[in-house]
Amino acid sequence: MSNTVIEFNNVTKRYGSLTAVDAVTLSVAQGEYFALLGPNGAGKTTLVKMMLDFTRPTSGTISVNGISSTNTACRNAIGYLAENHRMPPHLSGRQYLQRCAELCGFSRREAAEQCDRSIERVGMREKEHSKASSYSKGMIQRFGLASALVGNAKLLILDEPTAGLDPIGIREMRLLLESLKGQGMTILLSSHLLSEVEKICDTAAIINKGKLMVKDSISSIIRDGETLEAVFVRLVKGLT
Amino acid sequence: MNLQKAHNPILSILKYTLADEIQHKSFIVLFLICAAFVFLTRGCYNDNFVMNGQVLNAQAIGWFVSKASFHVIAAAVTLIAALLSMRIFRRDRDEGIQSCILAKPIARWQYVAAKTLGLWMLSLLFMLVLHSIILFITLLNTKTAIFSFLFASLLCSSNLLFVILAVLFLSLLLPEVIAFLCILGVSIVSYIGDGIYAASHSQMAQAMVHQPQGYEQSLTWWQVVYYLWPKLSAVQQWATALISGETFRWTGLVHPLVNVLLYCLLMAFLLFMRFEREDIV
Repeated sequence: MSNTVIEFNNVTKRYGSLTAVDAVTLSVAQGEYFALLGPNGAGKTTLVKMMLDFTRPTSGTISVNGISSTNTACRNAIGYLAENHRMPPHLSGRQYLQRCAELCGFSRREAAEQCDRSIERVGMREKEHSKASSYSKGMIQRFGLASALVGNAKLLILDEPTAGLDPIGIREMRLLLESLKGQGMTILLSSHLLSEVEKICDTAAIINKGKLMVKDSISSIIRDGETLEAVFVRLVKGLT
Repeated sequence: MNLQKAHNPILSILKYTLADEIQHKSFIVLFLICAAFVFLTRGCYNDNFVMNGQVLNAQAIGWFVSKASFHVIAAAVTLIAALLSMRIFRRDRDEGIQSCILAKPIARWQYVAAKTLGLWMLSLLFMLVLHSIILFITLLNTKTAIFSFLFASLLCSSNLLFVILAVLFLSLLLPEVIAFLCILGVSIVSYIGDGIYAASHSQMAQAMVHQPQGYEQSLTWWQVVYYLWPKLSAVQQWATALISGETFRWTGLVHPLVNVLLYCLLMAFLLFMRFEREDIV
């Protein structure tokens, strides 16, 4: 497919005798809001990490925009928000974003412009000069999302972006992600929050014990009258 | 937008490493304590020392104190470099810096090279400042400017590079404290080994174990270990010999500086290879 952004081709990852990811083959198309779902330890984070070359697959290949994940160039258009995002406590949100932008290759002035834009997008203007040590979990997640947005990323990889957030924080994060829709951005979202996924994602893949159970559009996954949660439980527990 | 123009991630990460290390209170306190200790030596230059009723030459005493201080500072900064290096990867992991950097189009070798160079520059700067204090104290008290001090200091920076690379490599395999203790052990053995070597080659020792003419001593295993061991102490002795213009006598297989630089290459190779296989958290 010509508009495929992410492609996993028969990817397996083993840690000793444990198989974290078992022969997964899937693809994500451009502009898609894609959800990676699964219980704890299903292999979601391992898939995300392999995409970023944080860990190498035991077998199989991964490509992003047609470039192998082991090539640093594939990360040019990727913005990444880690699960439980952390920031150096001595830096302010702005200093942190400035560094992120400079590491993307922007000059100091361009990086400052990028920071302004990202801070505006995540609504953290008031707190941009406070030290990260004074930020709440929600604020750190917002700055994490801002750091993923600097550098004009075309693909956002969000690993549990709502982890540790209160209901208001979760709602705000959802609104933020919804606001990014329609800007031509591809989003891969790894999450537990099925109700949130149901609201914002187009396509989902459910993995369990490293195996891909299903990959389809949300509307096709959900049967008549069922919720995504009901389908998820049925698939994960092996019910028919 | 002029993206990727002359972008050098190594320089950026190096700059951030320096900035992050310098802002730590523990680093500032450590530096102030070291500087205060170095300042304390200025008293040695002012007094007249009397031994067996004879007044010793103040300039000679000053010269001796300067050389001794040079050794102590070089050894102490080697220790400090190991301390600074042992937690750098862990801290980067804990503060999310490592994943932030490596999620950008930056290769792992660039990250490791920048961290190593950053730590090396910081330790070198630390040592140069302390050696400069000695240089100025000597200049003020003896009216002699020993600029070779700074050159000797630069030569000793090879020791710092070795220690940083070795601790960074070992900290990927072992708990950080163990990595630090291992390199501390290597350094101590180097100093003790060179001390024993110097003592065994002294005139007195030579006279005591006088060998008959024509007797050829074969190379024992401990001599091989001694010659192959990282020659941290010997590099310092060579640097000190350059300060005072003395002849540096060395009977080893390779020059101490070459020995240390070869170890640096080996450690750098092992570090880069190991980090390539490291899982980023």
